[in-house]
Formats: sequence, C-alpha cells, structure tokens
Amino acid sequence: MTDLLTLPFLVTCAKFGLAFIPLMLLPFLIWGERKGASLIQDRIGPNRAAIPLMGGLRMFGFIHNMSDGIKLFFKESFVPAHAHKFWYFLAPMIPIIIAMLAPSVIPWFAPMTVQGPSGWVSISGQNLDADAGVLVLFALSGLSVYGVVLGSWASNSKYALLGGMRASAMMVSYEVSMGLSAAGIFLLAGSFGLTQIVEWQGSNPFLWGWALQPVGFVLFLVSLFAETGRPPFDVAEGESEIVAGYFVEYSAVRFALYYMGEYAHIVIASALVSTLFLGGYQVPFLPTETIRANLGVVGGGVLALLGLGVGAISLKIRRWARIYTTLKASDAADRAREYGFLATVSSVKAVVLLVSALAVGFLVRTTPAEVAGDLVHWPLWVNAATALVQLGVLLVKTAIICWVFIWVRWTLPRFRYDQIMSLGWKVMLNVALVNLLITALVAKLLVGGR
Amino acid sequence: MIAQVYFGLFALVAVLCGATLVFARHPLNGAMALVGAMVSLSGIYALIQSPFLATLQVLVYAGAIMMLVVFVIMVLNTAKDSKTPGIDLVGILMSVVAFAFGLVFTGVLARTPVEARADSPRGTVQAIADTLFPVHGQSAWPLLFLAVGLVLLTAIVGAVLLSKRRLESPISVEDHA
Repeated sequence: MTDLLTLPFLVTCAKFGLAFIPLMLLPFLIWGERKGASLIQDRIGPNRAAIPLMGGLRMFGFIHNMSDGIKLFFKESFVPAHAHKFWYFLAPMIPIIIAMLAPSVIPWFAPMTVQGPSGWVSISGQNLDADAGVLVLFALSGLSVYGVVLGSWASNSKYALLGGMRASAMMVSYEVSMGLSAAGIFLLAGSFGLTQIVEWQGSNPFLWGWALQPVGFVLFLVSLFAETGRPPFDVAEGESEIVAGYFVEYSAVRFALYYMGEYAHIVIASALVSTLFLGGYQVPFLPTETIRANLGVVGGGVLALLGLGVGAISLKIRRWARIYTTLKASDAADRAREYGFLATVSSVKAVVLLVSALAVGFLVRTTPAEVAGDLVHWPLWVNAATALVQLGVLLVKTAIICWVFIWVRWTLPRFRYDQIMSLGWKVMLNVALVNLLITALVAKLLVGGR
Repeated sequence: MIAQVYFGLFALVAVLCGATLVFARHPLNGAMALVGAMVSLSGIYALIQSPFLATLQVLVYAGAIMMLVVFVIMVLNTAKDSKTPGIDLVGILMSVVAFAFGLVFTGVLARTPVEARADSPRGTVQAIADTLFPVHGQSAWPLLFLAVGLVLLTAIVGAVLLSKRRLESPISVEDHA
C-alpha cells in the first residue's frame, strides 16, 4: 500500500479534479449568456436577484444563477402520466455524465515529469492519455445524442418526439463534417492525441491550427454550433414551432440536468476548439520549458496582468456607481453602497495581486531538480505553477470561444430545418472533403509525409 | 488483479445486456441493451490494450449504427411492438441457436493457441496504421481496405436508389396529399 502513495500517483489522482472544470464554468457561462444577450440587444439584462445583505448584493446579475438553482431544485418534479418511466428518469443523466467524462481527454497543461520511487515519471495534462485522443471525445459526443433521443421518446409527447428527431438527425449529420474538418489537423500533426497536437502547434500563434487550417477551423466551429444545438441551429428547440423540443415534458431538476448538460457541452466544445486550433495550453511565444526556467518573470507577469485587469474592473465599477447616484432611482443609496463595496474589494485584490506580482517577479528563481541529457526535470512546485499558468491560458481561450458561441446565438436568426440539412450535407461536407484532399496533397508534397 | 475485476464487471454487464436484448418486450429496451453490451465490449477492448478499437467500437457501433436503429424504432409505430411476449417460440429457438453458436465458437477459441500477451499493446492507432498501410514492404491490406470502402460505397448508393423509387418523377405536393 505504501508504494501506491507515491508522488506520481498523488498527482494523477489530483488530476481528476480537472473533470469538474466545465461544471465549474457553468455559472459564468450562463451569466455571460444573459449579460451578452443584454449587451447585444442594448438593454441592462438581469440584475434583480440579490443576496439580502447590506441592502442587497446583486453582483451584476450573477445571483440569478443561484435563484435559478434554488427554484429548479425545489420545484415539483412532475412526471407525465404516459411517460416511459425508466428512460424518462435515465435520459437527463446521460448528458451530464458525458459532461463529466469528456474533459478527461483535453490536455489542460503540458506533460510534466514527477519523481517517483523508481525514477522520473511523465504525467500528461489529460486524465485519459490514450493515443485515440480526440476520437474518444467524438465517441462520447455520439453517445450524448442518446440523452436527447431517449428523453424525447420517453416523454411520450409528439412535440418532444419531433424535437428529439430533429436534434438527433442534426447531431448525426454534423458529426460527419465535424470529424472531416478536424481531419486536416490530425493529418498535419500526425496524431489523434490532443497533447501531441498541442505540442505540434508550438508556442507561435501564427503557426497554430487556425493559421494552417483556416477552412477547417471555420467548418469545425460551425459543426460545433450544430453539435451543441445552439442557434442558429436550434431547430430542435424551435419554440415557435414545437414548443421547446425534446425537453418540453421535463421540469424542475431533470430540466436543470439537460440545461447543465447543454452548457457543459458548450464549454467542452470551446475547450476542444482551443486545443485543436488555438494552441491549447500553449502560452503565446512562451514554450513550456521557457516558462519553467523563468517562472518568476512569467508568473509575475501573469499576476501583474491579473492585477491590472481587476484594477480596471474596480475603476469601471466606480464609474457605474457615479452614474447610478446621478439617476433618480429609488435604490440609488443601496446600489451606491454595493458598488462601493465591490469596488473596494476589487481594488484591494488588485493591490494584492500587483504586490505579489512584484514579489514573485523578483524573488522566485527556479533551478532544475535534475538534468539528464536533453531532458530537464523540474521540482514539482515549478511544474504545478507552470500547469496553473497554462490552465489559465487555456481557460481564457475557452472563454473567448464561449463568447463567440454567445455572440453568434444573439446575432443570427434561426435556420429552417431543411436549410440546416442542405448546409450540412451539400456544403460543409463537400468543403471539408476538398479541404482534407488539399491538405493531404500539400502535406505530402511539401513535407514528404511518411 | 484489478484488470480481472474490471473484466468481470464488463463481461457481466455485456452478458446481462445481451440477455436483456433477447428477452426485452419492447424493441427500444432491446436496442438500448445492445448499446450497453457494445459499450462494455469496448471496455474489454480497452483492457486488452486496444484503445483505438475500443474508441471505434463506441464511435461507430454504439454512437452511429445503434443511433440509427433507435431512430427507426422511434419512427415506427411501437404500440403493437410493446405487446410482443417476452418469451415466445422464436425467442427460445434463437436462444438455443445463439447458445450453440457460442459453444462452438468458445470451443474453437479454447483450442487455438494464443501467442499474444493480453497486456502487450496491439490495437493502438500506430499499430493498426502500420498494419493497414505499411510504408516498407509489400502488403495486400491497403488494397483490401480500399475494396471494403468500395463495397460500403456501393451499399450506400444502392440504399439511396432504393429509397428514391421514382427518380424520374418530380416530387409534388399532390403525391402526398
């Protein structure tokens, strides 16, 4: 038992926490969706729900997530009389199970070496380091269709069934162009493994997947819009035609499971796009070894950037507070107090971050634990800090793609069902095939291939 | 040790799902049992160091083919199907046949000397690619691979032709009315 509790084993166990990343990002994504919608539609957006402290803490609408959760958990879980009970109960769990499994193949940081009892052990940034890599993700995404199909069928309702049919037909169709549009990257990188693909892209942003496979990037992103059932591809929910699609008969916490699954799918899809086409965990212009060797400077820079960002937010909140006090709103005093509080908290955070940035920048120096030829082994804390920086960079990239999802949703109108099908099969599939052919030819002629 | 525990679990789930497929009264339950059997099989593939095979099993069979089967079951009128008795003559006969087939198959497998070790990697992407498309030396596999692709393409074209019976006649709204 004692040789189980080695450092590599503990690090591997700690990596399981990465499975919760999509679920932890959900509140931010839902908040971003609501505020993004209000930004694009030129309105204020949700800001009423509040924690009853200090005259109401509203946190700019963030508290709405909490009230949603409380409402959905305490509502009556209604089951239609004619539902097929077993599948009705099981179906909403499938998307959330997939949402917990899917992050296991995404590399959240660069592979590191950790000293074990019998030498250095390499530990990669993904929980499931299979060479089938991204195919596992495609397989899981194929399985997640069952949640939609079974839920719609088990509801025993015509609207739900129509929604489920549309959703499953769309997902199955767009899986084809999704796989084919990413195939160019697999061909160039020579691997399905996501860590290998990210390592192949390197740290130069102009040599990442988006630059080498621009067509594939656009096609993949569009296929993912369809895969996640997001507008403009949300005919499965088409509330003007079929009420709400496959989850029309679901209420309370089962509806919440579908909802969470859908948003977790968006996070995972964004992380996948970032990994395949935007360099994954690679920090622009800073290879992993450079970060490890100059951890003090890089870490200080990251902390300084964070501090500046939080400081900017604090200034912005102060400005809003000033605007609010000039309005003749009845709760102007409460809001001024809340904004003042939030601005003070942000200012303190910014100062702490900037000071720690200086401290880290000047004090932290890293030395390799062991140099074995070309391989340089670093102490665990250096690797962990580097992993944290890279995880943060990947999350920023993921957030940007998530914003693209939100942006597209509130900008484009919904397609008709036949338009979606003809776009998928007659346009995207063909463009993806031609793109793959050209990529193969160019890769073979220029690189020589194997 | 732990691999054997996992093998037992996967095998148990696969056998239970297989039995459910045979005895399920509703076709959808049967189809979903088959999905469960396929996923457990893929777990066994992953256990014998064949991650690529395991992934493809889920991707192609559980994800795509069974999806179509479930789709068809959903579209068809299942009111009649759900009254199918769980055990009837056909079911019993087919169980006997399947059991006999399984016995023969197991007997042949048990007599065959197995040279490969279970924990040596064989079903990885690299190994399958090297077998199918060898860079050095002659091999019939690429040709066979292309031939299988052509056979599948023919099947797809045939299916499209069969489903579009009246190619020459334009589809009009009056036809459906």
